Amino acid sequence: MDMLNALVSGFLQCFNFSTFNLMLVGIAIGFVVGILPGLGGPTAMALMLPFVFKMSAVEAFAFLLGMTAVTSTTGDITSVLFGVPGEPTTASTIVDGHAMARNGEAGRALGAVLMSSLVGAVFAGVALGAAVPIIRPLVLSFGSPEFFMLAILGISFVAALSGEDILKGMVSGGIGLMLATIGLDPISGIQRYTFGQLFLWDGIGLVPITIGFYAIPETIELAVLGTSIAKQEVGSLGGVMEGVKDTFRHWWLVIRCSALGTFTAIIPGMGAATTQWLAYAHAVQSSPNKERFGKGDVRGVLGPGAANNSTLGGSLITTIAFGVPASVIMAILLGAFIIQGIVPGPDMLLPPPKGKLDLTYSFVWVIIISNMITVAVCFLFLKPLAKVTQVRGSIIIPLILVLIYLGAFAEKNAFEDMIIVLFFGGLGWVMEKMEWPRPPVLLGLVLGPLAENRLFLSTDNYGWAWTTRPGVIGIFVLTLFGIFYPVIKNRREARQKEADETSTHAIEQSPGAHPIHFGPQTTFALAVIVVLAMALWQSRNFGYRAGLFPWVIGTPTLLLAVGQLARDLYGKTKKSSRIPEVGEVHADIAPEVARKRTISIILWTVGFFVAIWLLGFSYAVPLTILLYLKFAGESWLITASVTFFSWLFYWGLFEKMLNVPFPEGLLITLITGGQ
Amino acid sequence: MRRYIYAFVALAALALVRSGEAASVEEFYRGKNVRIVVGFSAGGGFDTYARALGRHMSKHIPGNPSIVVENMTGAGSLIAANHIYKVAKPDGLTIGHFIGGLFLGQVLGQPGIEFDARKFEFIGAPVSDHVVCAMTRASGITSIDRWMASKTPVKMGGIAPGTSTPDNATRILKVALGLPIQLVTGYKGTADVRLAAESGEVAGGCWGWDSVSVTWRKALDTGDAIVVLQANRRNHPDLPNIPQAIKFAKTEEGRKMIDVGIHGDSDIVRTYTLPPGTPKDRVQALRNAFDATLKDPEFVADAKKSRLNIGPIPVEDIEKDIAGLFKLDPALLSKLKDVLYN
Repeated sequence: MDMLNALVSGFLQCFNFSTFNLMLVGIAIGFVVGILPGLGGPTAMALMLPFVFKMSAVEAFAFLLGMTAVTSTTGDITSVLFGVPGEPTTASTIVDGHAMARNGEAGRALGAVLMSSLVGAVFAGVALGAAVPIIRPLVLSFGSPEFFMLAILGISFVAALSGEDILKGMVSGGIGLMLATIGLDPISGIQRYTFGQLFLWDGIGLVPITIGFYAIPETIELAVLGTSIAKQEVGSLGGVMEGVKDTFRHWWLVIRCSALGTFTAIIPGMGAATTQWLAYAHAVQSSPNKERFGKGDVRGVLGPGAANNSTLGGSLITTIAFGVPASVIMAILLGAFIIQGIVPGPDMLLPPPKGKLDLTYSFVWVIIISNMITVAVCFLFLKPLAKVTQVRGSIIIPLILVLIYLGAFAEKNAFEDMIIVLFFGGLGWVMEKMEWPRPPVLLGLVLGPLAENRLFLSTDNYGWAWTTRPGVIGIFVLTLFGIFYPVIKNRREARQKEADETSTHAIEQSPGAHPIHFGPQTTFALAVIVVLAMALWQSRNFGYRAGLFPWVIGTPTLLLAVGQLARDLYGKTKKSSRIPEVGEVHADIAPEVARKRTISIILWTVGFFVAIWLLGFSYAVPLTILLYLKFAGESWLITASVTFFSWLFYWGLFEKMLNVPFPEGLLITLITGGQ
Repeated sequence: MRRYIYAFVALAALALVRSGEAASVEEFYRGKNVRIVVGFSAGGGFDTYARALGRHMSKHIPGNPSIVVENMTGAGSLIAANHIYKVAKPDGLTIGHFIGGLFLGQVLGQPGIEFDARKFEFIGAPVSDHVVCAMTRASGITSIDRWMASKTPVKMGGIAPGTSTPDNATRILKVALGLPIQLVTGYKGTADVRLAAESGEVAGGCWGWDSVSVTWRKALDTGDAIVVLQANRRNHPDLPNIPQAIKFAKTEEGRKMIDVGIHGDSDIVRTYTLPPGTPKDRVQALRNAFDATLKDPEFVADAKKSRLNIGPIPVEDIEKDIAGLFKLDPALLSKLKDVLYN
């Protein structure tokens, strides 16, 4: 009864006049923050903290949570429309969401992502409300060994993220795990693969990698096609309502992914950056007819759309029940708790008068209500938003480039992150062309550190006895089941199919002697092998504790990569006509035109970076946009107005309002002598 | 009489020069932006404090420049420290705030350090880090005597080697006091150490009282968590009866290690720094402003709300501590290096 009272009281507290208004302000800020890549929730929140001083507790959290709750909803919009992740937590919606936008289904993708976001948020609220009594004992029964096993369970999802080619997927996952070892090793403090660069001490950030991985290949593709983002006419299928209906058509998938997000996020260290991929993998794994995943399947949008929103609820619980911030945003919220004189802990889960459960429930309500408002507002703008995908590519491309570099820089104010973007942009592009799946890399990257840390914490705390803990064994069995069940199921299905149709999808195997294929495929596999081998060679000096992980991961990955090379060399691949030569992507565009356009867009991308380096953002942004538009043959009127407004947006928001410390261009420093 | 006249003239001249200086400082700062470059991410302890200072310091600097806080994260704030030393212009418009443990790092030969701690200009430190060791009641380690008597090593949570707290402090206490300790390192932050202690994975940990007292408040009140040891030059007003670690040090070397690695380190951990070669008058103006801000009732109220403690460390003490690092006995240094990094 007390709990019910708390639930109602929490609800009513949200509708206090000033509380509600502050929530609206928070939502408005979060809306913009979510849409803009690189401008993450943490920055915005830290800037807003001073205002929190003057508010009451409920007001403060309505404001801050309202702001946070909507970032992953509106971040999805950027991901879908531009293929640039609006937030690091919305990268997974690019895979199918942006593909849908390319197919002229932007409206449907947006409708689906918004509706599933809402369902995710509501689910998180309801689940949390119900789970309150068992949360503390549940989490406290988990120790490092269980956290480690959960990370392993997460990594096993790589198989589902691999698409049609498990071998390539596993190598990619291994590469992700190896990338995760870059930086200072947390156990013995040894530098791994830092090449003497300080900016690599903390490893490479998720934001620049995801931006590079997805946004740059998409931009290249856009330029090569020479079309708008939607390469097809936006037909009747593009309807927003269709996407909403999709959410209900795949209702259980949405609910399962919401649950996955909420309950995974209760574990410290698991945020939406992880859960979105787990949800995506789950969507792939559990769906019949997987062929369309990665090419614009709405189920690939619904899963992560729900999960990245439901995650907030789970993270919030860890934060308020234990004072352990699950993410940077939660760390800042924790600061706000302290400002408000609230001590996170068991009290937060007890009904008043003993505890502050009503306050906790008001948080839950804020998440639900603010998502409802956001989704409602978004629906008003969806049609015009989806139209963005019909704007000429030549106008959109320079703007996307601006977003890419601003997003890369502004997250940590680090110049080097732009180089990371370029590097991973190149890698992502090659991987896309060679049909190597990219999601396993990201999953490995986010779960690697968790797995490594918790493995050592487990053995240090319990010796090897941790392997016999019931929780560990339970999760292990679950992992095995997750790996083998689809394999068995597939085999059974394949056997059945084989009986039905023998030769439609024939694997082309050259008859007689295998001629050795040598092409881009083999070159890339070879490059992967060389880099992995070098990484392993370097790790010989790391010592046991810092070296164990690179060895255990690197060796099998290297062997698998060799296997892949052999497959590429001896033609044991599927019919390779689907993997065209670089630059010959599209049947309707002549290869030489495609090649020319590819080279040109790469030059523009790199050139923009060089311009930023030499001139600084404030000159490079307008100059590059102006030149690009003019070279693309736009009229002076369009060129001038697009340049002006994008510069105004950049200058007003990033320079004036946010005070982002953009570095001075090299040339400018030389000319002015640094004054 | 004449003497007095001379003295008066001299004084007047001095006053003129002084006011001229002040005027030029004021002129310099008017309409300008002062940046506080914080080496940690937005929302953390260093950032919160810097932003609170930033909100109130402007009115105490002649010319009232506006103050912006920037986050330059990476390598445990070493990137920011190197930036302040090498890149930032020494014009009094850039203030650095990075972890003072790096100064000890320089002496111990920590890789990646490109500054010389002795050449920085220091503005001050608003507070000292007051190291305490807190344990759960469930661990059975409810007092220092019980700790000493423990037959098995007591598991203590850590973050990464070279971190001032909990790692460095715990390692030094283990050696200097001969305490039975097994440091389990690799937790993401002190919050995760606290959670591990609550779930029974470790017994507790040693880090700043400012953080322990706020985030573990409830358990401290109910007696589920207990502070068994403190390590600072002064007793904390909140902890009058908690024994000081240095009293239990077994040897003179142990005492020295605690003094340098915990006490000294705690005093300089939150220094605010200017690039080498910043004009002296501006350094002085910023020092005065810093001191005045810490006494400003509005700042004090603001800080109280955010639970930021105030206990300024005088610049002279900071300089003395840092100079002292460079005069340490080589034998002690190599011992410290051994304790902290191996």
